[in-house]
Amino acid sequence: MTGRRLRVLIAKVGLDGHDVGARVVARGLLDAGMEVIYTGLRRTPEQIARAAIEEDVDWIGISLLSGAHRILVPRIRKLLDESGAGDIRLIVGGIIPQEDVPELEAVGVARVFLSGTPIAEIVEFLKQTRTDAQNA
Amino acid sequence: MFGISPDGRAGMEDAADETLRAGATAEAYGRWLSGAYASDLAARGPRKSFRTDVGIEIAPLYTPADLDRIGFDYGRDLGFPGAYPYTRGDRAGMFRTESFVVSAYAGFGDGEVCNRRFKRLLGIGAEQILVALDLPTQCGYDSDHEMAAAEVGQVGVAIDTLADMEALFRGIPVDTVKRVGTLGNSIGPIVLALYAALGEKQGIAWKDYTVNLQNDPLKEYIARGTQILPAEPAARLACDAVTWCINSAPHWSPMTVCANHINAGGAGASMALSIALANALHYIDLMLAQGHAIDDVAPLIHMFPDERHDFYISVATLRALRRIWARLMKERYGATRGEALALQTTVYGHGQESLQEPLNNIVRTAFGTLAYVLGGASYVYLAGYDEAVSTPGEESMRVALRTLQIIANEHGLADAIDPMGGSYLIETLTAEVETQILDGLAEIERNGGALAVIDTGYGRRLMTDGAVRRQRAIDSGERPWITVNQWPVKPNVPNTAFRGDPEATARQLRRLAEVKAGRDGARVKALLSDIDRACAEGRNCTSAVLDAVRAYATVGEICQVWRDRFGLFTPSTDF
Repeated sequence: MTGRRLRVLIAKVGLDGHDVGARVVARGLLDAGMEVIYTGLRRTPEQIARAAIEEDVDWIGISLLSGAHRILVPRIRKLLDESGAGDIRLIVGGIIPQEDVPELEAVGVARVFLSGTPIAEIVEFLKQTRTDAQNA
Repeated sequence: MFGISPDGRAGMEDAADETLRAGATAEAYGRWLSGAYASDLAARGPRKSFRTDVGIEIAPLYTPADLDRIGFDYGRDLGFPGAYPYTRGDRAGMFRTESFVVSAYAGFGDGEVCNRRFKRLLGIGAEQILVALDLPTQCGYDSDHEMAAAEVGQVGVAIDTLADMEALFRGIPVDTVKRVGTLGNSIGPIVLALYAALGEKQGIAWKDYTVNLQNDPLKEYIARGTQILPAEPAARLACDAVTWCINSAPHWSPMTVCANHINAGGAGASMALSIALANALHYIDLMLAQGHAIDDVAPLIHMFPDERHDFYISVATLRALRRIWARLMKERYGATRGEALALQTTVYGHGQESLQEPLNNIVRTAFGTLAYVLGGASYVYLAGYDEAVSTPGEESMRVALRTLQIIANEHGLADAIDPMGGSYLIETLTAEVETQILDGLAEIERNGGALAVIDTGYGRRLMTDGAVRRQRAIDSGERPWITVNQWPVKPNVPNTAFRGDPEATARQLRRLAEVKAGRDGARVKALLSDIDRACAEGRNCTSAVLDAVRAYATVGEICQVWRDRFGLFTPSTDF
């Protein structure tokens, strides 16, 4: 690892109040040596984009299980891009139907992790992506 | 003392003889454990971990020596069904006279489309309907609010006004169902008023039907996340709904204090019940402080235990909880009425459902539910096999109801009352779980009680720690999970998973606009002011809420009164 530690914002968007998964992932990334911030429940896309920019994060991990991902995730991406924060990347976690995955990837989500994914897999992905970027 | 006679029958024995025999058993057990069992263990190794989710290690074998160790006393600890301390059941006849209530938790889309599903569920034997509300309704936003974007009718049915309830129950008289209700944890007085006004619309007196609510806001702050207001006023509003019932509908069950989501979130079954009991005692203390009597308050409160990891712990948990409740009500509050001492329980049959191969969840939830039934639960729901994936579909709800009917009626599973009572294993676990729950409750009370669990972050930390521990147990394989860490299969959310219906959303928005256009706006405004005045003066606001609901005030408008009066909760950023 070179340079600063990875900074990740774990975000709960919309009204879905189940944040155990989000908190477990946040803990896991922290344990893996990353800097982690958690938004708390029920944040709007605007609040999340603003927090990500203010906190100067590399990644936002968006967690949602209520099925509202097709509307709320693209909105976060758009707000980031419009604010000149196109370099902040997104991963999504939760209950995402198969056919929605390409749709989310098409709007700029780097990877979708379904509920129950081992934490190590998410850690590995974030670290590997950074290494690939440094070697590019 | 309870002894085992040489021919294996229970009987009263003389104490000296008893001690000798228990000692002899303990000694013999020790010899077997360090002899035959140890050598088999050395030869083959242990097959798996025997540590339960609540932390109790399951011993290889339970014997009369265990009963001696826990100081088991039949008369004191068990008694008989329907009699103090209610360990063996809250009613004398239990499932020999009336089965547990076969219940369906369902809701999606708008009132119109959801009504058709309710009719089909009732048609195949559902005896109780608990309405799943969509997130905007639960969080106090109308369907046309910006916070409701993408969530209308998604994880439940959208209810904005009484008109939606009328559509939802069109052709379903509320007195033809054993109980009707909903969770409505953060909007208790509103959902209570919606059901009270619905009965009026259908021409059915309150005494002729039964409403069941969860109405337990305190757990939302640490577990479920539909909280709206700060915890302290939220708890007072929930109690308003309960005390309204004391005077107007004393046979309703307007509060079901819930451990389910606290356990699911990571606390573990015993600690979740410690927290839920602390919450229940907080509500009770508020109502007693208003001058109500424990014998009037306690019968209106049910509890919702939850244990989805370990079958025998689950049986033990229900038995321990009834015993704890009876003793708390009697010893702490001086309750005397049977209804106040005998706790009724609602349970939701789960069993660690997986996204992988969802049909396997039918087996998992059936076993999980069987444990609850053997533990003597009163009202039983069962998760749909596709519930890990999305809002359950029609077929999975049918299988869930049929599973309950099979458990109630086939195999003779529910023929004897408390069939596992007296088992060395179950009595030992019941005592151990009881100790865990009471120790947890004592710790919470030492540290300031239910509100402190929320305010200090203790509850959330406890849950995150537990959730991390569970995830590690799965990642490492310590907790076997078929298709996840044993014979693993790639998880998949099929494209057939439930999706919100844009047409239902459009219908909902149309109906809301029509209702707003057709009602007496000035009168609604005045009635909303009455709610605010009741809250400002510290009076029970339920009657004022009922008047506003009758005049077609919306859920969001009433919640806005509360938000303006009490402020908003602050989301915790701890993890």
